[in-house]
Amino acid sequence: MSSGKNRAAKARQIVAEQKAAERRRTVTLWTSVGVVLVLFVAGLIGYTALSGQDEGKLVIPSTAVDEGTAFAVGTGPVVVDVYEDFMCPACGTFEAASGPTLKQLADSGKITIRFHPVAILDQYSNGTEYSTRAAAASAAAAQEGKFTELHDVLYANRPEENSTGLSDARIIELAASVGLTSDTFVTAVNEGTYKAWATQATETFSKRDFTGTPTILVAGQQLENPTTELLTEAVTTAAG
Amino acid sequence: METSPQSRMTVAWPWIATAARLGLAAVWLVAGALKVGDLAASARAVNAYQVMPYDTAEVVGAVQPFLEIALGLLLLIGLSTRLTAAISALLMVIFIAGIASAWARGLRIDCGCFSTGGELGRGEDTAYGIDILRDLAFLALSGLLVWRPRTRYSLDGILLGER
Repeated sequence: MSSGKNRAAKARQIVAEQKAAERRRTVTLWTSVGVVLVLFVAGLIGYTALSGQDEGKLVIPSTAVDEGTAFAVGTGPVVVDVYEDFMCPACGTFEAASGPTLKQLADSGKITIRFHPVAILDQYSNGTEYSTRAAAASAAAAQEGKFTELHDVLYANRPEENSTGLSDARIIELAASVGLTSDTFVTAVNEGTYKAWATQATETFSKRDFTGTPTILVAGQQLENPTTELLTEAVTTAAG
Repeated sequence: METSPQSRMTVAWPWIATAARLGLAAVWLVAGALKVGDLAASARAVNAYQVMPYDTAEVVGAVQPFLEIALGLLLLIGLSTRLTAAISALLMVIFIAGIASAWARGLRIDCGCFSTGGELGRGEDTAYGIDILRDLAFLALSGLLVWRPRTRYSLDGILLGER
């Protein structure tokens, strides 16, 4: 009698365990399906965000050289490529240390500087995308034949990372202080005419497998540590 | 009442696993949030590894932050913890392989783990060793969760009728 009761209890327990196991399987199956779906949708959102990016109308500045990515200063035989972001502290240091030497080498007909403005630090200007705006403004200045002037005054007033950067109005003001006052320039800055170009030039920079700024190349050879001395040396070597 | 060390571990494991789950969730949420605001920069960070063409890197760079955030949220609520932990582990292995490969090839890049990295300033040094160690720690957290996916305060627990 009591053994029959025991057996019944055991049977109930087995059934309960089987039910629990089945429930676990069902839950595991459906939660797994749910997870895969969620991840798929997340990926899709990323993909859509990428393809939905509106970069505006691409206007390539007619004065740009090297696949439309750079502005040339000087006409010397040795080409020095300078990739810079207008907000980058290391670029500011490089400009302060080596900028005058570069200008001198260009003025004396030894080198051609190709300035490549790039915008890799957009996320460090509190959403104002100063790097892109500054690069775009430099393209507008190049169209007026005053790239160097704007380039230098922007570096002299380089905003710190994680600040809002210089406003368009301030860029226009600084430009005016170095004799760049044309309406075409002011309109181009206000309308962000060359912003899509700046984005594209930055993409080209990345496609060329450069990652940091300043990136300096002398006659196509990248300088790992671009001090003024090494730069001058590399130019002398390249000149032969 | 005598509690054996074994039964004490039985009690402790769900809590240890819960800490691992929430920790890993935080890792993914932070990593994703730091990248999601600038997808172009995320693309450049992926491209910096030089393992795929730029157009592919662009897609990977855009998809990755959203995947990271989704994984973080799934781990936070504790849905299908074993699966999300396994996917986390897989991603960590891929990241470690990527960093090791960049290291081996002598690339000078920021891993872009918790930033849109890519660029290293002058004088800044690569930190591949530390990056790999950190990812190994995250891999260990993921592994622990694959092994012991039962955690407290999880949707899994509620769905399975546990307290």
